[in-house]
Amino acid sequence: MMHTPICDLLGIQYPVLQGGMAWIADADLAAAVSNAGGLGIISAMNANGDWVRQQIRKAKSLTEKPFGINIMLASPHVEEVAQIAAEEHVAVVTTGAGNPSKYMKLWLDAGIQVVPVVASTAMAKLVVRNGASAVIAEGGESGGHVGEQTTMVLVPQVCDVVDVPVIAAGGIADGRGMAAAFMLGAAGVQMGTAFLVAKECNVHQNYKDKVLKAKDIDTMTTGRRSGHPVRVLKNPFAREYYKKEFDSTVTEAELEQMGAGALRKAAVEGDVQHGSFMCGQIAGMIHEEQPAADIVTSIVTQAENILTGGCPWIK
Amino acid sequence: MSTFDKVVEVLVEAKDLETGSITMESTWDDLGLDSLDTVELVMNMEEAFGVSLEMSEDMKTVGDVVKAIDTAK
Repeated sequence: MMHTPICDLLGIQYPVLQGGMAWIADADLAAAVSNAGGLGIISAMNANGDWVRQQIRKAKSLTEKPFGINIMLASPHVEEVAQIAAEEHVAVVTTGAGNPSKYMKLWLDAGIQVVPVVASTAMAKLVVRNGASAVIAEGGESGGHVGEQTTMVLVPQVCDVVDVPVIAAGGIADGRGMAAAFMLGAAGVQMGTAFLVAKECNVHQNYKDKVLKAKDIDTMTTGRRSGHPVRVLKNPFAREYYKKEFDSTVTEAELEQMGAGALRKAAVEGDVQHGSFMCGQIAGMIHEEQPAADIVTSIVTQAENILTGGCPWIK
Repeated sequence: MSTFDKVVEVLVEAKDLETGSITMESTWDDLGLDSLDTVELVMNMEEAFGVSLEMSEDMKTVGDVVKAIDTAK
């Protein structure tokens, strides 16, 4: 049976978190993952407070289990959303796109477990000093906004500098990845792309189909010119954007204009030509749409089998 | 040694910058450093000066760091 410090800390059965994907991870998906024994997470993305509060209440109506909210620190509504997370006493707050220190006291005072996504050892040390109860070390294999380091190199280094449990993210979609994450020192995993194709996920069917069809070489990163790289599935939009990044006659403002609303076009409208289909490198390993509960139990069972079998090369 | 000189020393040691290229007005961006470098450097400064610094978005230049350290001392 699998049981790690993350299970006790977050009050969940399996140490499996569902990543907070903007325009994708809503109350329905989060509740389904939490009901399956993992930790579902609602993405607050750039949404305003009313939307976030409504999603939190909806999730509360769908599950008795703990769930989390992912707060994107670069959101124009971050102040308001941070406050609402505290008022609604969500069980867990995860953060992305920056340094959450400014809000940590507010959340800790509300009894919330704060688990920031970190892309470096220094950031991990900083957030733990400010009260984070665990950290998510996310490598650049993941979808959406990515750092430079891979999961393989980042996870053990973060484990070495903090004394709280570490959750590995980026490039994990099955029990092999989970077992490997444990070997690197992690006590849990977070998966985004794997849950994007869950039956309970409301993302446009075209988006799911693109992920299901993707092969190993089908993601790329755009946005390096702006310093905020994003991993997406290759499509006409991504190729065009990439080309423009190398065109010095195209201004930063024009690039920004081009990117605005592109994720929504993918997730809500399913526009395969003009949408930005954020997705992890692991997409090539995801082949079927399944209920969230099956995704959670299959990864856990496979990891247990691998880890109890040990390594065939060592006698 | 002034706070500025010591900050320069920490920056040069950590990021292989040229001493002469750093002024009180230099921004992180001028020095070619990204947000992850910034977090690491602030931790390095805390260690070097034995102070605790509050990371904030207002900390944009070397001068801002010097000021924050002097206030924290």
